[in-house]
Amino acid sequence: MSPEGVTSPNPVGDAIGKSVPRLEAREKLTGQAVYTDDMTLPGMLHAAMLGAPYAHARIRSIDTSEAEALEGVRAVVTAEDLPKKKYVGVFLKDQMTFAGDKVRYISEPIAAVAADTLEIARKALQLIEVEYEELPAVFDPEEALEADAPILHENRDEYPCPYERPEHPNAVAYTQFKEGDIDNAWAECDVIVEGVYETPAQEHMYMEPCSTLVAVDANGKITIWSSMQSVFRVQTMIAEAFDMPMSKVRVIAPRIGGGFGGKCDLTNQPATVALALKSGRPVKMTLSREDDMMMMKSRHAGKIYCRTGARKDGTLVAREMRLFLDGGAYADESPEVSTVAAFFGRGPYRIPHVNVESWSVYTNKLRASAFRGFGNPQATFASERQIDEVAEKLGMDPIDLRIKNALQSGDKWLGGQTVEGGSLAECLEKARAASDWDKRRQNNGKEVRPGKRRGICVSGMSHISGMLSAGAAVRLHEDGTVTVNTGAVDIGEGADTVMAQICAGALGLSLDQVNYGNPDTDSSPYNFQTSASRVTYMVGKAVEQASERVREQMFRHAGEMLECAEDDLELRPGGVIGIRGVGDAAVPFAAIAGRSLYASGGPIMGTHNWLFEGERFDPKRALVRGFALDGIGVFTFGAHVVEVDVDMATGKTEVLEAWCAHDVGRALNPGAVDGQIHGAFAQGLGYGLYEELVWDDGRLVNPTMMDYKVPGPLDLPYKIHPILIENPSDGPFGAKGIGEIALVGTAPAICNAITAATGAAINRIPATPERVLRAILAAEGGS
Amino acid sequence: MRYLAPGSLKEALDILRREDDARCIAGGATLVAMMNADLVAVDVLVGLGRIAELSGITETDDEVRIGAMTRHAEIAASPVLTGALGVVRSAAGQIAHPAVRNMGTIGGSICHADPAADFPAALLAADATIEAASAEGTRQIPIGEFFEDYFETALREGEIVTAIRLPRGPAGARGHHVKFSRVDGDYATVSVSAVLVMAGATCSYARIALGSSGPVPIRVTAAEEALVGSPLDQAAIAEAARLLAEAADPVDDVRGTTEYRLMLIPRLLARALNTLKDGETASV
Ligand SMILES: Cc1cc2nc3c(=O)[nH]c(=O)nc-3n(C[C@H](O)[C@H](O)[C@H](O)COP(=O)(O)OP(=O)(O)OC[C@H]3O[C@@H](n4cnc5c(N)ncnc54)[C@H](O)[C@@H]3O)c2cc1C
Repeated sequence: MSPEGVTSPNPVGDAIGKSVPRLEAREKLTGQAVYTDDMTLPGMLHAAMLGAPYAHARIRSIDTSEAEALEGVRAVVTAEDLPKKKYVGVFLKDQMTFAGDKVRYISEPIAAVAADTLEIARKALQLIEVEYEELPAVFDPEEALEADAPILHENRDEYPCPYERPEHPNAVAYTQFKEGDIDNAWAECDVIVEGVYETPAQEHMYMEPCSTLVAVDANGKITIWSSMQSVFRVQTMIAEAFDMPMSKVRVIAPRIGGGFGGKCDLTNQPATVALALKSGRPVKMTLSREDDMMMMKSRHAGKIYCRTGARKDGTLVAREMRLFLDGGAYADESPEVSTVAAFFGRGPYRIPHVNVESWSVYTNKLRASAFRGFGNPQATFASERQIDEVAEKLGMDPIDLRIKNALQSGDKWLGGQTVEGGSLAECLEKARAASDWDKRRQNNGKEVRPGKRRGICVSGMSHISGMLSAGAAVRLHEDGTVTVNTGAVDIGEGADTVMAQICAGALGLSLDQVNYGNPDTDSSPYNFQTSASRVTYMVGKAVEQASERVREQMFRHAGEMLECAEDDLELRPGGVIGIRGVGDAAVPFAAIAGRSLYASGGPIMGTHNWLFEGERFDPKRALVRGFALDGIGVFTFGAHVVEVDVDMATGKTEVLEAWCAHDVGRALNPGAVDGQIHGAFAQGLGYGLYEELVWDDGRLVNPTMMDYKVPGPLDLPYKIHPILIENPSDGPFGAKGIGEIALVGTAPAICNAITAATGAAINRIPATPERVLRAILAAEGGS
Repeated sequence: MRYLAPGSLKEALDILRREDDARCIAGGATLVAMMNADLVAVDVLVGLGRIAELSGITETDDEVRIGAMTRHAEIAASPVLTGALGVVRSAAGQIAHPAVRNMGTIGGSICHADPAADFPAALLAADATIEAASAEGTRQIPIGEFFEDYFETALREGEIVTAIRLPRGPAGARGHHVKFSRVDGDYATVSVSAVLVMAGATCSYARIALGSSGPVPIRVTAAEEALVGSPLDQAAIAEAARLLAEAADPVDDVRGTTEYRLMLIPRLLARALNTLKDGETASV
């Protein structure tokens, strides 16, 4: 039963469950897809932003006069040009478009220039004179929480904030979940493992850097085209930053070249809007890769202290976890990230005694934000490494241990929400069978290829799919085809195609008969964001139900036209309604549409809008303190088995093969689901083995693709095997989200396999060759 | 900026002499990226692509000559580069990825003189000679004198590298380049180029060079002497590696810490020597 109490119809026709190609495949493959930077408007200016040279400094003065005087410069903006004290943010509102009195990280934008050409704009940036007074800075979250640490936001308590602020002024948010009797639980344990785990600040590395085009019309209405994950979030936050009504802000999504969470909230839109308002001309700003990496956002680096206890028979008993997540200079999505991290601190296991505490903390670095998995990858890395260590200590098969403790349907999640579709054990079994686990495990530690040691191991994983609200509208055209409108921005993951498939399946149409409209705040129903593995589940449900509303209206017409009861009607593939069991008694959609427009009833349009309202925390079961979001979505489960070879001379890991079992509820488009699993595995492999933003005294040392390495085709195993499990959920036709979960458990599965191969404990990712080699030498007792 | 594409070497050299701020462009893989990043400003670009005499691989009895404009991909596939010269072929095949190998040239690579590149060490191990032309004439620069510092060579203003000349090397020699990088297609964290002759179980000739281990490729004759006369056992390799590591001065950066690079030197040296000892020539 869905949280809103609607069940899915049976799909008609063959649109559902088919790996249809992307609606926009042709356009992308022929280079015709239009991204923001491809667009030009008459009189359009080009823009760039100036970043701060200090990690923490007071701004004494900014002199833009020389820049303004440069020929071809049309506008220069700084904090002075924006409404004062208009802070924006998701929960804790602490951000300004440009640094005002202080800069808090190197490259924080302090000014922007719009000029006739990009070259002139860049030249003008060099002419802006800023006087700074350098301040002591802090780069480590634990140090930032010390009593005498430099304070980033002296005025933190003035910022609008809907939750109780943690005590330390550098703490953005704090969350605690406590269940059972943790203090006395350890005595019950036969084995206790304890460790410190470190995870990196990962760069989103979307293919398309942040890009925005803004035009202002004669009435002052702003139109924004931008590379973003939500037209509505951008609309809300721009209105907030500029203190103007949302009715004066229109946001349109062109094609988007990836987001991964980095474009969930504002990026370079406010700076571009400020320039368009000041110059009175359309302005386009596309960040260079380097500016994007230095100015925008990353994943939260994490340091995780974890302890797990179990009985001899493998029953998990106790778990303690403390997470310190590096939020960088501004809150952005830090509060959600630290609460989600805490929420996954226990993992998908029955552990009766738990205490998880999670902090997100200000430091003088790039702000950290949403990123595929949202704090869960950090918690899961520590958790799954420890589960493996417990198995090792007990001499148990790591899959058996996980299955023994796996949550089942009806069990409670940490905090008290009921688990539906608790299929972790099934995922583990399927991955075990597919990988020929028992046989391959006999190679663990063996030199199958010269100089390399082989290892195979596993990780369980879970995530949520859902969150907040979404709507959809389906309109019947005069010829019987339909148009679907939603606010869901397809950021490259293929949701447009799946939304069209859902509508086609609900109405028995072919995909050619479904037009999928572009998200536009002027005309699209609301959608929160493309995030939280939510579009298929949330927006898809809205599309399914809006289509149902259209069907109901058409049935009313058809009943009258065919002179029968509506209950006797059926949808037939291709846009036809007929009488069940009576072959030739049928009316096409076009006839119904014509009747509705010219004879009876009026135009046919179905809408559906809903909010995910999940179960709340249970105060009798769990102590929940600080900032915590409850009822955020349905749970999803998966298991990865990964096989590696580790080069014993260099410490380099090669991932040979991966089996990724995921319960997706129902695979509406199996090819698209496979694609999400492949992509998430690849990004998780990068997270586990290569990717790490590195700072030296606050300066990002690797802000290029030359220095910051993401995996390329030859770094990925050719054999990544998605294994789709379909236990229908309450989502559209039973589907639930797959966008994030396959990243969540990839790094721990790889590191567990490295340990299986070498005996070396890998508790810090990325597991670079150097770290692995040192761990191997340490395990061998050498130096 | 002006772009000129002379059809002969003489014309190109004339342009270089005539124009103030002229710069050659070969494959452009590095130069264009640097121009895009505002790292270099060029007034006149002299494209070398139309000068036929700069391209291709030719051989005589005692040497192989690689034109400066020869692409990495062609070198990697050359049937002429066998024996000792396998080291150059092996290095070429490990540069970046196919797109860059189809674009970059050996002349561009050595003139750029990035110590993290693969050719410098391979050419040092192969005992190459660099042929450079200027309006005054042609001169031969021994490879050991060509690289002077990070991104600096012995090339003088107005000079163009025309060819890389490779002696055949001693009879029975085999060459191999071992490259270690973080991900496929990255520059080397450390690379080892080796040319060996084995007389039965004993090493009778060794020429070894390290890449990515200092401002220029590194060669230590004492290390080679430690190998010659030995069966390339652990002790001999360890001694050679110790001498090489002593001479190395690797940077500490995102590709690896100094300490890790020093750890890699003996490990990659052993790998290179064992590969050659076992008779597998560079397969790439
Ligand atoms: C993404 C990427 C990855 C790479 N990875 C590697 C790698 O792993 N290993 C590696 O070794 N290299 C690597 N390279 C470098 C590449 O292989 C080329 O060697 C390099 O780009 C230079 O060759 P080019 O022909 O493109 O020279 P250009 O970029 O055209 O020129 C480079 C410099 O040499 C000068 N020059 C060129 N030819 C001559 C000449 N005949 N006489 C005098 N001066 C000349 C130019 O003026 C310029 O200063 C990589 C490059 C890229 C872009």
